[in-house]
Parts: sequence; structure tokens; C-alpha cells
Amino acid sequence: MELFNAFAVSLQAVWHDSGFSAFTGGHAIMIAVGLVLLYLAIVKEFEPLLLGPIAFGCILANFPRTGFLEEPGLMQAIHYGIANEIFPPLIFLGIGAMTDFGPLIARPATLLMGAAAQIGVFVALVGAMFLGFTVQEAGAIGIIGGADGPTAIYLSIQMAPHLLGAIAVAAYSYMSLVPLIQPPVMKLLTTQKEREVVMEQMRPVTKFERVCFPIISAILISLLLPPIASLLGMLMLGNLFRESGVMDRLSDTAQNSLCNIVTIFLATGTGMTMSAESFLVPQTLLIIVLGLIAFIFGTAGGVIFGKIMCRTSGWKINPLIGSAGVSAVPMAARVSQVVGMKAKPGNYLLMHAMGPNVAGVIGTAVAAGTMLAMLK
Amino acid sequence: MSQPVTSNPLIIMLINMTVVFLVLIALGIVINLIHKIDPTAKKEKAPAEPAAPAPTAVPSVTQSAPAGLSPEIVAVIAAAVASYGYGMDQIRAIRPIARDGWKQSGRNIVAERLL
Repeated sequence: MELFNAFAVSLQAVWHDSGFSAFTGGHAIMIAVGLVLLYLAIVKEFEPLLLGPIAFGCILANFPRTGFLEEPGLMQAIHYGIANEIFPPLIFLGIGAMTDFGPLIARPATLLMGAAAQIGVFVALVGAMFLGFTVQEAGAIGIIGGADGPTAIYLSIQMAPHLLGAIAVAAYSYMSLVPLIQPPVMKLLTTQKEREVVMEQMRPVTKFERVCFPIISAILISLLLPPIASLLGMLMLGNLFRESGVMDRLSDTAQNSLCNIVTIFLATGTGMTMSAESFLVPQTLLIIVLGLIAFIFGTAGGVIFGKIMCRTSGWKINPLIGSAGVSAVPMAARVSQVVGMKAKPGNYLLMHAMGPNVAGVIGTAVAAGTMLAMLK
Repeated sequence: MSQPVTSNPLIIMLINMTVVFLVLIALGIVINLIHKIDPTAKKEKAPAEPAAPAPTAVPSVTQSAPAGLSPEIVAVIAAAVASYGYGMDQIRAIRPIARDGWKQSGRNIVAERLL
């Protein structure tokens, strides 16, 4: 009898300590959300390198009584890297080492398209404020339109950490949908004649220019906007590794091993912010809608500025490259190429679109910096 | 968090877009300045000048192509370059460069996933 009682008490204790006893409908829904995201990542291949760990992090975050964020351990360390803005600048180091700023240096005017495409960020900000979000929350939501995941995470952590999960998921989901979202907007805003504009070959860029650009840009932007100094500084450091020609080992590490390791931590940690308590709120739906609006207006802003530049340059610039100003490197540039090729087979816009594309990365970081300086 | 400068969304939009444009215009000026002061630019242009007057282009291309390239491939590459508006006299040599295409392709895929 005593053995039976001890056995029953032990089983009861195990049940009370288990996750099942505290499992709610909200947890079940969020695990289902995680499974859907995993399906999209693995079967549909929507940004699998990021959506995969985000989805799994979402599932992990919804196991009750794990104490992941309360007790010291790996999960808390990952969360520390997210909450203290460590991972996004490290990702930017890798991106800098992978980015060729040559097309931008060869044609600096394309910086303006990268700036114009940021209008989507601020249209979403205005929309979010009209829907009742605070100014900080609206800024964090608006940055989805920048189509730049690390910057979106960087800004969200500082301005609206409770919305991080929804913002990150919206940003990465829409980035994977760039080939579906952008073409209708691009075609709607341009004429056949504009889409057929053939651009001249770009001038060659010297090594001197390639080496000076990251150094001087880092100094200029960091002095102007200190809140994004770590983000832009690491981007330009990574690019200096690449362009200097004497730091190949560092460049290789930054763009491969380090970048992959940090991606695992950043994406899993982002997924782990998607707990039922913070994600299952009406605001999440609004964030997803506002993110789409931001992408559409960002694309439109870039294309409309491209049309202006097309006219002022005497039809030497194809307005389709303006849409690449929303970042999403290099997918947005590829979309410009595909739409341009459909309008005029043999018209290669890819290299020309890379200018506004990388300008968009800098533009989004600058937009984040101005919002941090003004709204935080 | 400190109090924001303003809570009017339209003013926030106007100020932020102005700042974004100004910073990127400043960056554009810096790029132009680097181009202007570039001490290596003239040195690279100088040796190109004497090579410009080539009497007949196609034979020189064929001669400059390594043994591994067939005349058909040379003709196709020359035609592709010509379709961009370059004359045959501007093609001085056709040769394969050392490039790890698969590695670069992999990097492109990784970059695509990150932004």
C-alpha cells in the first residue's frame, strides 16, 4: 500500500511539474503557427535559413515551465544577444563582407533611389500611429518596409521589444515574397517605354575607391547618427575585410562561419520571442497588414523616384531599378532584372539595380538611426 | 525612454525622410570626392592609350585567346560584347579568369537569406 501511495504521489508530482499541466490553448496555437512556418521554410523554401530556426524557436518558446529566460543557460545567453543588440551588428559584419558596393560607387546618384524607397517605412509609421500604436511602436513597425531583417530586429529591440516576434516574422515573410509583391506595383507605375530603357555600362571602380568607401562612410555616418554606429560600423568593417585584399581570412570567416553561427542564434532567439502571451494579440494582425503597406509604398517610392531620374537624365536610367531601393539584397535587384527582361529581352538591369539595392541597406539603417535619435 | 520630439506622424515622416535624403546625398558627395582625389585612376588609364589603335580586331582576339578556347567560343563572346555597343577593336584578349563560381553562388544565396 505504501509503495502504491508513493508511486501515485510521485506520478502526481511529475504531472504537476510537466509542461502539460500548464499547457494552454494559446500555447497550442503558437506551436501550430511554428509548424506552419516550418512547413513554409522546408517545403515552400521561403527564406529557410531564417524561417526554419525562427519557427523552431517559436515552438520552443511555447513549452510551459522551461524557465528558458529566467535561468542561466544557452537560451538566456541567446536572448541576451538579442536583447542587447549583439547579433544584428554581427550579421551586418557578414553582409558587409558579402556586399559589392562597386555599382553604388560607380553611380552614386542611385543613392537617391535608396533614400526614396524609405518612404514605405514612414507611410507605415503614419498608418500605425493612426491605428493607435505609440510613436515608438509605430517606428518599429514601419521599419518592416526597409526589407532589412537585422535592422528591423535592431530597431524593434530598442523601441518596441514586446513586438519583436511579430515584426521579425512580418519582415522576413514579406522579404521572401518580394518577387510576388513588387512586380505588380512596378508595372502599374511605369510605361512600356520606361521599362525598355537600356542603361549604359558603368564606369570601372578602382581599388582605391573600394577601400576608401567603407572607411569614410563609417566615419561620416557614425558621426552623424551615433545610434546606428555599431550597425553601420560593422557593415563597413566587413566590407573593408573584403575590399582591402589583405584580410581574406577575416573576410572568409565573416561571410561564412561567423555569419552562419550568428544567424542560428539570431533566428532562434527571434523565434523565442513569439510566446503566446506576446504574439496572440490583435496588434499582430495589424502589424502584418502594415508591413505589407510599407513594402508596397517603399517599392512605389523607389520606382517613382526612378521615373524622375529617368526624365532628368534624358532617359538614361530605367525606373525599374528604383524598386530595388527597398534593400532585400539581392532579391529586389533580381526582380528589377526579371521585370526589365520581360519588357525587353536582353536588357540586363541586375548590375544597375545593385546600386539602389545596397543604397537601400544604408538608407534603412539611416532611417532607423534617425528614428532612434528622434523618437526613442 | 525619453519623450519624443513630436507626436505628429506627418511631421515625423517629413523630418525623417529629409534626414535620410541629406545623409545619402552627403554620402554621394563623399563618393564623388573619393573618385576625384583617387591617385590610382590616372595610372590605370595611362597604359590603355597606346593599345587603342588596333588595325584588325578579330585576328588579334583569336591570337590572344588561349589554346583551350575554340574559335566558335571566341566568336560568341565577341558577338555578346559587341551587342553591348563595343566595337571589335576594343576587344584585346579573351581568356578565362580564376574564379570559384560555386563558392560565389553559395555566398549569394546566403546573402539573399539575410536581407
